[in-house]
Amino acid sequence: MAVIERPATVEGLTIPDAWRSFRTAVGLGWAIESNWSDPFLFAVYTIAKPLAAAMILVVMFNVITQGQGGEFLQFLIVGSALWNVVFGVMGGLVQSILEDRERYRMMKYLVVTPTSLFPILLGRSLARVAVSFVAVILTLAVGVVLLGVELRPNILLLVPATILGLTAVMALGVFIAGWCLQLRQEAWSYPEAIAGALYLVSGAIFPIDVLPTFLHPIAYAIPTTWWLEASRRGLLGHGSPGTIGTLPDLVVLALLVVTTAVVVPLALAGFAWFMRRAREAGLLDMTTGS
Amino acid sequence: MSGYRATPASGPREAAEWSNRRIVAMNLRAIVGRAYPRVIGLTREPSWIFFEILLPFLAVSAFVFVYRALDAPEEFVGFVVLGGAMTAFWLNVVWMMAAQFYWEKDQGNLELYFTAPMHLMSVLAGMAIGGLVMTSSRALAVIGIGSLLYGVSYNVQDPLALVAVFVLTMIPLYGMGMLFASLFLLWGREAFHLAQLLQEPIYLLGGVNFPLRALGPTVAGIVLATLPLGVGLDAMRQVVFPGAAEGILPVGAEMAILAAMGVVFLVGARLALGYLETLARREGRLTLRWQ
Repeated sequence: MAVIERPATVEGLTIPDAWRSFRTAVGLGWAIESNWSDPFLFAVYTIAKPLAAAMILVVMFNVITQGQGGEFLQFLIVGSALWNVVFGVMGGLVQSILEDRERYRMMKYLVVTPTSLFPILLGRSLARVAVSFVAVILTLAVGVVLLGVELRPNILLLVPATILGLTAVMALGVFIAGWCLQLRQEAWSYPEAIAGALYLVSGAIFPIDVLPTFLHPIAYAIPTTWWLEASRRGLLGHGSPGTIGTLPDLVVLALLVVTTAVVVPLALAGFAWFMRRAREAGLLDMTTGS
Repeated sequence: MSGYRATPASGPREAAEWSNRRIVAMNLRAIVGRAYPRVIGLTREPSWIFFEILLPFLAVSAFVFVYRALDAPEEFVGFVVLGGAMTAFWLNVVWMMAAQFYWEKDQGNLELYFTAPMHLMSVLAGMAIGGLVMTSSRALAVIGIGSLLYGVSYNVQDPLALVAVFVLTMIPLYGMGMLFASLFLLWGREAFHLAQLLQEPIYLLGGVNFPLRALGPTVAGIVLATLPLGVGLDAMRQVVFPGAAEGILPVGAEMAILAAMGVVFLVGARLALGYLETLARREGRLTLRWQ
């Protein structure tokens, strides 16, 4: 009788393994995201949605001010442009995990492979994140060329703000993706609902001072508020109208660091717990029909 | 026990020959049957209520705060709340009418529709009626909550005109959804993305958050000729906020446009459905998942 010897040690997931999974998932995510259409329609889709969202605000602004008050218009354009990243990241992460479970029904196969789900999830969602950055650039370009937005980039502020902000938003997206695995129905609506709620309290398109007072502590506690403020300063050279705009740059950056440092470990721990619960409760191959 | 009785036929020819009365009765049953899950879903899917009210309400709130930040006249808050309520109908048309056949195909129901003896227009009509009932409750909630929270006051001097404008808006709106249901299916995997694409650009062109007049005469003219949401909102604002909302055309003219749109979209839906059915039977690939 043949005897199969067990290896002395079984190696866990190495960095090259994770990188290979991530790379493959990036390619797969891009194929899923882009090959539903010809390049022209895909380009229209990529451009039309974010530009229309920004133009709604521009028309509202012009109706009321008759074009006066360019500083507020710049505030609107930058906020609207940057928010594409939040929608892209949250939508991308949640959609990739739900599509793999509900539509393509690959989640259970992915989980039983030796690789970790985490790099696959990040890779699968990267296509939408990339598309959202294209939307940011296009919206800003239209703002500069057609609407008189004056960019005065401050790289020292913009680069750390972008890195920290993206990290925080991705952490939130990962958390929501794990949460959505627990849901019976309507999981697809969660990223939109949560991103919509954050949009409201982060001062994306209006100063936080306009919000009811009881929402101010929530606004100041979330990293997206400080990411938007730091990015505005990094792009425009000045802050938002209202109280938050009077804070020094370093304080804004420090608050972004602190809120991100709180959110990231909490979100990752939450995701790990959600995944463990999904394995135990048999939720990884559940189809809700939603 | 089912209320329907099977009548034995002497042969296949007799079984295939239906009286007009039987055809009409069966199509009416199909309409009721397809509307039923949407109406009953009002009470059985509380999570739907939450999201379908919450999502338009979040958007409404954001735009209200933008107007407040700009010190806009209070009637603009009313414009946004009314636009938010109409957004609920548009979302219903896009996601639960236009994209519905695509979802049905994914779930394996579409081939049952094609093989069942009723007309597919009855299925679409049932979807529209059920969706209209379901979304009306959401739209009323958005108006109620928005009006209470943001202190909107309405001045409806002619309630009958308001009802007429609403009904005339809904016919082409859902007719458009019926037409798109066939087109989305023909365009295959693009359904999800097309539904996404029909949101913000349509909110912009439809003047959901501002008076349609602000888009300028050329764009507003195009909207008047093509987009029932925009025309209906423009007419409704004139009826609900008389004096404050200056429409593109008088309410009567916009009602006539909506009536004409209703005919065009319903006939278009009928023709597109006929083409789709022919294609489904000839090529047999419309029922394949993920195609």
